Amino acid sequence: MKKSETLPSFSKSLFSGYLVDEMVFPYPEQDKEEKENLDLILETFRKFAEDNIDSSKFDEICEVPTTVIDDLKELGFFGLVIPEEYGGFGITSTSYVRVLEEVGKVDGSIALLIGAHQSIGLKGLLLFGTKEQKEKYLPKLATGEMIAAYCLTEPSAGSDAGGIKTRVVRDKKKGVYILNGTKMWITNGGIADFFTVFAKEEIEMPDGEKKDKITALMVTRDMGVASSKQEKKLGIRASSTTEVIFDNVEVPFENIIGERGKGFKVAMEVLNSGRVGLAGGSVGGSKTMLKQAITHVKERQQFNRPLIEFEAIKDKISQIAINIYAAESMTYLTTALIDSGKVDYSLESAMSKTYATDRLWENANEVLQMAGGIGYSQEYPYEQWVRDSRINSIFEGTNEILRLFVALSGIQERGEYLKKIGKALKDPIKGFGVLSDYAVSYVKDRLTKERIQDVHSSLTESKALFENWAKNLHITTERVLMKYGKSIIQKQIIQTRLADAMIYLY
Amino acid sequence: MNIAVCVKQVPDTEARIKIGEDKKSIDESEINFILNPYDELAVEEALKLKEAHESDVTIISLGPDRITSSMRSALAMGATKAIHIKIDSTPVDPMITATALAQVLKEGNYDVILLGKQAIDDDNAQIGPILSELLDIPAINVITKLDIQGDVVIAERQIEGGVEKTEAKLPVILTTQRGLNEPRYASLKGIMAAKKIQIEEKNISLTDNKIEIVEINNPPQKPEGKIVGEGAEAVPELIRLLKEEAKVIS
Ligand SMILES: Cc1cc2nc3c(=O)[nH]c(=O)nc-3n(C[C@H](O)[C@H](O)[C@H](O)COP(=O)(O)OP(=O)(O)OC[C@H]3O[C@@H](n4cnc5c(N)ncnc54)[C@H](O)[C@@H]3O)c2cc1C
Repeated sequence: MKKSETLPSFSKSLFSGYLVDEMVFPYPEQDKEEKENLDLILETFRKFAEDNIDSSKFDEICEVPTTVIDDLKELGFFGLVIPEEYGGFGITSTSYVRVLEEVGKVDGSIALLIGAHQSIGLKGLLLFGTKEQKEKYLPKLATGEMIAAYCLTEPSAGSDAGGIKTRVVRDKKKGVYILNGTKMWITNGGIADFFTVFAKEEIEMPDGEKKDKITALMVTRDMGVASSKQEKKLGIRASSTTEVIFDNVEVPFENIIGERGKGFKVAMEVLNSGRVGLAGGSVGGSKTMLKQAITHVKERQQFNRPLIEFEAIKDKISQIAINIYAAESMTYLTTALIDSGKVDYSLESAMSKTYATDRLWENANEVLQMAGGIGYSQEYPYEQWVRDSRINSIFEGTNEILRLFVALSGIQERGEYLKKIGKALKDPIKGFGVLSDYAVSYVKDRLTKERIQDVHSSLTESKALFENWAKNLHITTERVLMKYGKSIIQKQIIQTRLADAMIYLY
Repeated sequence: MNIAVCVKQVPDTEARIKIGEDKKSIDESEINFILNPYDELAVEEALKLKEAHESDVTIISLGPDRITSSMRSALAMGATKAIHIKIDSTPVDPMITATALAQVLKEGNYDVILLGKQAIDDDNAQIGPILSELLDIPAINVITKLDIQGDVVIAERQIEGGVEKTEAKLPVILTTQRGLNEPRYASLKGIMAAKKIQIEEKNISLTDNKIEIVEINNPPQKPEGKIVGEGAEAVPELIRLLKEEAKVIS
């Protein structure tokens, strides 16, 4: 796992003044055969959804009916990302996220049902499980016989996931972990049979000291897992969200994911890869809303004209289209990075999630606004879009936390390099001159001389702007590092602005 | 039992049709193509027979390269083989299509040949009956129910005011109507299995064209609707307008 830290990252490199354009340029195209398959999968979902998914009814009854879940299982939608050798269909990240987009076009709760299962619920096993563990559970997860949930958050530990209190103690005689604690806000909590659980364990360090570390475990319902009632929520009401309670649950030693005390890394890696799925779902939701809004503003007449003829309305519609275009571009650029293997996509995934979910909320709000009074009525879909959209900037890392993550990871990369340069940091003012000259010329070289060559002529200006701002991001990163040193960690406003800059550059 | 299903790829029912510059064809550039919905019924019926009789189901289609995506849809539903009769563009004369299909069908010795009752693009509803003539086997058209016992085929057809029960012996041609079944959705399993099936390609020289399209035009634009009012009060005004403006009652 150490290895992943040295993998190339487009965004970390950009913070450092390197534009690794071959990672993102030209825009990746999906393999033809893969695309053909994907089209069939999408067609199946569309047909199924048209006949069987009634989003406003599911919202009202606060659940996805079992028959619908069973049909989705039957069709294979729970085994999309599981390799064929384990009974799944092994589709790529691009195809998977595209499926989530299609589901997101129709119903946010169902996108979460399928997404929480595959993007995070079973992802720990998929990424870090042993062959035996995979053979034991993946086939059942692929058919949906077992639905998976990801259990990290607790009443007193959300953004600060390291602060969890759920605990495991090893019982060597029985060969089991005794698990105790309560998880909160668990998607699929009420319907899952397979739980990826993160718990504190006392680990003896090499120096003999005992320390609390996080261990990741696979727990199944039959081991004695209890769930609370369905949470009453603002939106995505049909999605199962419950507390999950472990009361002296005995989990066999062999159900550990990865190594003892290395569970935090598992938790974070799972989220790194899972997040982009939320971006896909958000793009889907935005597309449907835009379609509905366009139909509405073309039909609705005020001042003897359809609304679409008013400039202010056109402005809103085009802004939503721009938002979607940008979010979609980021999302599938990121999935292509993931599919290419061997790159660090953690920042791109976080940025896609942050951007796409922020825009989703903005789009939902604007679409409701264009609908006017009926936008506020439950007879129309708009209010449900607003309610269902809202969650996305909260879970799998709040968008605020993700921005801090993006900035700090980018700065860290640079910070480590600068440490090597060493002395310059000790004399910030003098050092700054040296470094920034170096930085500017270096970035200029990298950016303008040999990089991004064959852009379409209509993009020449955008290219120049991009290069200029990329350079500024880099220079600013060095400047704040030198100004604040370690205390940059407390400077959240700066971090947020750096992250926003990176998001827009991406 | 050996089963064949002849299918056609057609524009999506929601596609906005744009007439091509030659005014004799439609502009295909922005059209999303689908498997003809009546053919989906035929595929579904074939798959039911396949499940009952453990047989192969061969999809046969004539058209340009783009049609393979719809053939894949049929394979993904569960068909086992596919033959693509490659041509540059789909003929407008159903006789040409049927003659080419008949040539391929003859080679396959099929017991049951299923087709949709018509394609939703040109709505000719000709292929089934012409095939019956060319292959000299009975055709039962527009069926809503099917039962095959041994070599006896019993099919029901909806006719004006009732149901007609028809009997024939294998081999038989059947064209399918809505109500016959509910086509299944292609499952992921089916889609992945279809990936491994090679679509056989055939080149056939087509017979002469006897039908020519002279011109295609859009249907005349419907005048805008008018809401006269609501409830009983609106009825007198409605009647007046129907009489005086629309002139549909006197
Ligand atoms: C419907 C739903 C489904 C969920 N599904 C799952 C699931 O399946 N599995 C799971 O494990 N969890 C799940 N969660 C939990 C979710 O991931 C957390 O709610 C989220 O991480 C935020 O944690 P919190 O609620 O404790 O908020 P807090 O951490 O208390 O945050 C509250 C606010 O403070 C801000 N904040 C926190 N710390 C900082 C900081 N250091 N600097 C600046 N701002 C800060 C946050 O951005 C946020 O705006 C779900 C939540 C919901 C609502």
